[in-house]
Amino acid sequence: MERVAIIDGIRTPFCKFATDLNDVEAAELGRIVTRELIERSGIDPARIDEVIFGNVTQPVEAANISRVIALLSGIPKTTPAYTVHRNCASGIEAVVQSVMKIQLGEGHCYIVGGTESMSNIPFYFTKHLQEILTQLSRAKNVMSKLQILTKLRPAHLKPRIGLELGLTDPVCGLIMGQTAEVLAKEFGITREEQDAFALTSHRRAVQAREIFKEEIIPVIPGPKYAKAVEADNGPREGQTLEALQKLKPYFDRRSGTVTVGNSSQITDGAAALLVMSESGATALRLKPLGYVRAYTFIGVEPSRMGIGPAHAIPRVLRKAGMTLKKIQAIEINEAFAAQVLACLNALESEHFAKEFGYKGYAGAIDRSLLNVNGGAIALGHPVGATGVRLILTLLKHMKRRNLDTGLAALCVGGGQGAAVILER
Amino acid sequence: MSVQYREQNNIGFIEFDQPGSKVNLLTAETLRSLETLLDEVRSKASLDALVLFSKKRDVFIAGADIKEIEHITDAGEGEKKSKAGQDILNKLEDLTVPTLAVIDGVALGGGCELAMACQYRLATFNEKVKIGLPEVSLGIIPGFGGTYRLPRLVGLAEGLKMILSGKPADGAKAMKIGLVDRLVPSQNLNHYLDEFINDVRQGKFSSHKYARRKKKGLAAILGESFLARRIAFHQSRRSVLKLTKGFYPAPLKAIDVVQAGIHLTDRQKGMDLESKAFGALAVTEISKNLIHVFYISEKYRKLSLPAGQAGLSGAEDIVPRKIRKCAVLGAGVMGGGIAQLLSSQDIWVRLKDIRYEALALGLKSAHKIFQQALQKRRLKKHEVMAKMARITPTLDYNGFKNADMVIEAVVEDLNIKEKVFSELDQIVGAQTILATNTSALSITAMAQKTKDPSKVIGLHFFNPVHRMPLVEVITTSLTSRETIATTLNLAKQLGKTPIIVKDSCGFLVNRILLSYMNEAGRLLEEGGRQTAANSTSGIARIDKVMTDFGMPMGPFSLSDEVGLDVGIKVLHILEDGLGERFKPNGIFEKIYAQGLLGKKSGRGFYIYAKKRGPNPQIQKLFSTKSRETFDADEALKRMVYIMVNEAARCLEEKIVEEPDTIDAGMIFGTGFPPFRGGLLKYADSLGAAAIVHELERLWEKWEAERFRPAAYLLKLKEQNRKFYN
Repeated sequence: MERVAIIDGIRTPFCKFATDLNDVEAAELGRIVTRELIERSGIDPARIDEVIFGNVTQPVEAANISRVIALLSGIPKTTPAYTVHRNCASGIEAVVQSVMKIQLGEGHCYIVGGTESMSNIPFYFTKHLQEILTQLSRAKNVMSKLQILTKLRPAHLKPRIGLELGLTDPVCGLIMGQTAEVLAKEFGITREEQDAFALTSHRRAVQAREIFKEEIIPVIPGPKYAKAVEADNGPREGQTLEALQKLKPYFDRRSGTVTVGNSSQITDGAAALLVMSESGATALRLKPLGYVRAYTFIGVEPSRMGIGPAHAIPRVLRKAGMTLKKIQAIEINEAFAAQVLACLNALESEHFAKEFGYKGYAGAIDRSLLNVNGGAIALGHPVGATGVRLILTLLKHMKRRNLDTGLAALCVGGGQGAAVILER
Repeated sequence: MSVQYREQNNIGFIEFDQPGSKVNLLTAETLRSLETLLDEVRSKASLDALVLFSKKRDVFIAGADIKEIEHITDAGEGEKKSKAGQDILNKLEDLTVPTLAVIDGVALGGGCELAMACQYRLATFNEKVKIGLPEVSLGIIPGFGGTYRLPRLVGLAEGLKMILSGKPADGAKAMKIGLVDRLVPSQNLNHYLDEFINDVRQGKFSSHKYARRKKKGLAAILGESFLARRIAFHQSRRSVLKLTKGFYPAPLKAIDVVQAGIHLTDRQKGMDLESKAFGALAVTEISKNLIHVFYISEKYRKLSLPAGQAGLSGAEDIVPRKIRKCAVLGAGVMGGGIAQLLSSQDIWVRLKDIRYEALALGLKSAHKIFQQALQKRRLKKHEVMAKMARITPTLDYNGFKNADMVIEAVVEDLNIKEKVFSELDQIVGAQTILATNTSALSITAMAQKTKDPSKVIGLHFFNPVHRMPLVEVITTSLTSRETIATTLNLAKQLGKTPIIVKDSCGFLVNRILLSYMNEAGRLLEEGGRQTAANSTSGIARIDKVMTDFGMPMGPFSLSDEVGLDVGIKVLHILEDGLGERFKPNGIFEKIYAQGLLGKKSGRGFYIYAKKRGPNPQIQKLFSTKSRETFDADEALKRMVYIMVNEAARCLEEKIVEEPDTIDAGMIFGTGFPPFRGGLLKYADSLGAAAIVHELERLWEKWEAERFRPAAYLLKLKEQNRKFYN
C-alpha cells in the first residue's frame, strides 16, 4: 500500500469565542487556510483531486462547507469536495479520508482541513414559536392571524442556544463538562491535579508563541479590516495556580472539580494540510513534513466520552505494530484536564490493559513528551479544526526536534476515541 | 447586398448582413435598400408578419455610420439626412402587416430607432443584447425618430434617462421598461419566433405599441400628467447641467425636443423638431470633437501590438499570454487600487507589503470600492465576497513564483525599486512579467537589474485606479513584443484604455500635466494675493479658469487629491531628467514644507473640514512681490500652451508616435475636456502660428525659457501644418 505524505500545513490563529475572529465565518476561515496553503506550497490547484473539510456545526448558509471553501480558494470547479462530521474528531476524519482514498488509488493529492466558527453558531427559535410563525404564514386573513398570535407566550421567545445544544449529548443527556466530572469522580482526579495540568498548558503555549508563527497565517478580518490577528489569544501570559484555584466548578457547582479554567476554551479557528501519495510527492520533488503510519477510531460509553484516547492509543499502536516506548511525542487533545488525566491513569493501569486486552500496547506516558507546546486548555478547541491542528503542530514539532514518531489522540463527544501515528 | 428579403411560411424576413464587416451599420445605402424592400412588401398585405433580422452574431444593428455624421458640414444637409431616415422608418411603422424586430445583440442608435419603428420587439437572453440611444455622447441627438418614439414606448422618465445618459439597456432592463415585448433564448430562436407571431395573431398583445406598457406604482396613479411631465423635464435639465456644467449642448437640446414633442399627436411635427435639432447639432465643433474622441477611444480601447518593425516579426505570430494571477508589491493607495481592479476582473492577487497594517489598509480600501459597487447594485453580496477572496495578503514572497505578472507599486525611489527588481529576479518564474507602476522613474534602470529585461515593462495606472480609464504601457528598448502584447491584453481585460509610451523621464501624461500644475503654482505666486478689495482667493480664481475651460477640477484641487508630496517628488524627478523648467515653483515648496499636502492631511490648497474653502494659511506664504490681480486670459494661455509645448516636445522626442496618443492620454488620464477634442485637437483649432506667437510673447515677457516654442511646433508653423493632418 502506498505511504501517505503530509506535505505542509497551515492554520489560522485560534481565538476565543466572540473575540478577534468574531466576524469571520467558518467558510472564510477555511478559505483563508486553503488558499494560503496553495500559495505557500506552490501546488497547481488543478492537481488537487478532492477537498475534504471537517466541520461540526455545519453552518446552514454554507451547506457542504468544503465545496464552498474549495471554490472560493481557486480550486477548479471540476474538483469535487465533501464535508465530514465526526464531532471533535472531524478534522482527523478529514485526514483519514484522504489517507484511505490515496491507499485505494483514488487520487494522489488532497487538501484536507477542519474549520469552526463557534462565535457564529446561531440561536434557534423554540418549536412553539416556529409553529406559530408557520401558522401565521398560512393564515388567510387578519382575524385568523390575530387568533394565532394570542397563542404566543413570553416563554416561547426564549432562544435555544445552538452552542449549548451542540455540547450536550442527546443520548446520555450530559453536557460535555459533566462527562468530565464523571471521569474525575471515577478516577479520583483531584482539583489540584487538574489545575496544575491547566497551568502547564498555558505556560507551554505561551512559551511556544514564537514557534507557532511557523504554522499560523495571520488573518485580517473583514469587513472592517481594522488589524491583523497574528497569534492565538487563548494562552494567558500571567496565568497563576492561585487564579485557577479560585474558579468555581462550572458543571457540578457543589461537589465538582471541573472549572472553565481546567477545561478547553470555546474558540474559532481553521487548519489545513496538503496530503499526497508518497510517489506523487516524490514526482514533484516535494519534501513532506511526515507520513501517516496508522489511524484508528473506537467507540466508548457516551457519558465517559473523555476516556476515548485511552482506548484509541493502544489500538492504534497495535495496528502499527509499535509500543508506547517508540513514540517520541504525544498530543492528547485537552478537552478537559480531568479527562486527559483519567486517560493517563487508565493507560498506566495493568487492570485496564488486562480488561481490554491492551497488554504490551498500554503503559505510562512520559509527561515530558505530552502536549509539549500546550493544548486546548490554553489554545482552545474549535471542534472541527482541532484534529488537524494536532497533526500540524505535532509534525512541525517532530521536524524541529528531528523526531521519527509521534502520536495524536482525541476524545470525541458522543463517546468515541481517535488516534493517529505519524512518522518521518 | 446588406439587406435581403425572403419569405417562408407566409412570414417575410428582412435580413441585415453587411458584407465584409462584423457588424451591421445603418448607412445611407442600407436605408435606401431597406426603402426599396419596404415598398415591395407594402403590397403583400396577406403576410402574417414581417420580421427584421440580423445575420451577424451578437449584433442587430450597431448604429448609424459615424463617418456620415462626421462629414455633415451644413445644418440643412444634416436635417435632410435625418428626415430621409425618418421617412423610411415611418414607412416601416405604417405597414399594415405586423412588424417585428428580433434583437439578439447590439441595437444602438439607428438600430434601436429601427427596432422602435416596428410594431413588436423580441430580444434574447444573449448577454450582448444592448439597446439604447448613445447619440448624445457624440454631441448630437437621435435623428431617426428616437426622441419621438422612445419616451412614448417606455415612458417619459425612462426615455429621458436613456436619451440623456446615452446608456443602453440590457435585455432584462429593456423588458422591464417595455422597450421589448418578450425575452426568449437565442437557442431555438425560430421556435420562439413562431410562438411569438402566433401570440400576436391571437391578439395576446395590444396592437397599439404605445399602449402595451404596464404602468405600476406612482406612475399609474399620476399617469403622465402635465405636472408630472413638467417636473421630469425640470429635473432632467437640472441634472444635465450639473453633470455637463453646460459644456455639452446635445442633452439640453434633446430635452427641448422631447418636451416640445411629447404632447403632439402629429408624428410628422415631432419628427421635424428632431431633424432640425439634429442638423443644428451635427455641424457643431463640439460634435466633431466628440466624434474625434470616440474614434480615439475605440482605437486605444482595442489597442494591440503595433506592426513589427523591419526585421522583426509582425504582430500576428505573437500570442498574448493570459494573466490569471498577479502579485502586487505595495498595498498603498496605488497597490491597493490595482489589487482591487485585478480582483474585480477575477484575477488572483498576491498582495505584499512590509507591514500587516499596510495590508489591512489595502484590503479595506479594496473592500470599500466593492461595497460601493454593491450599493449601486453593480455587484451582489456573494460576488463581493468571492472577489475579496481573490486577494491574499503576505509579508514575504510566498506565492510570487507562479504569478503571471508582478506589478510593483512600492515607494517612488529608484534605489528601492532597483532593489525590489533584483529581489524579484531571484524569485519569479521564467515566464513572469515584471511591471512597475512608477509614474516617472527609469524603467530601463529597473530592467537592467534583472536577468531577462525583456520581461520588464511599465504599467502606469492613475489615481483612483478603479475610476481612471487610462493606463500608460511603457516600453524600454529591451521589452519583448510578447511582454507588450500580454500587458496590452491585460489592460483591455481590466477595462482600461492603454497607450504605449517609450521609457523616458515622466513618460507622457505626468510630464505634460506637471508642466501645467507647476505653471499654475507660478501664477498663484505671482498674482494670488487676497485683499479686502479682492475677496476671492487666488487659488479658487485659478482653479476656476481651468474648470471654466472644461477641466473636471482645477490644478490646486487636483494637487490636493493626489497629494502635494507626490507632485513635488515627481517634479524633482522631472527636473533632474528634463531640466530647469520642471523645478518646483517656490510656493509649492513652501506649502509642502508646511505639511499642507492636501486631502490626506486634511489641509492643502483647500481646507477639508466641515467648512470647506481655500486655505487662508497659504496667504501668509506669498512673497511680498505677489500681486493681487491676474489676467485670466493670459493665465489660461500660460497653463494650456505650456502643455501644448511639452506635448510637442514629446512628439519631437518620439516618446509617442502620434498626436492621437497624447489626446487619449490627456482625456482618459487627466479628464482633459472631451468636447475640446483633446489637447492637440484644441491646439489645432487655434493653429500652430497663434500658439507659437503667444509662446514667444510669453517667453519674452517673463524671460522664461520654458515658453520657448518646441522645434516641432516651429516646424508645424513653418510648414503651415496641424498636429492632425
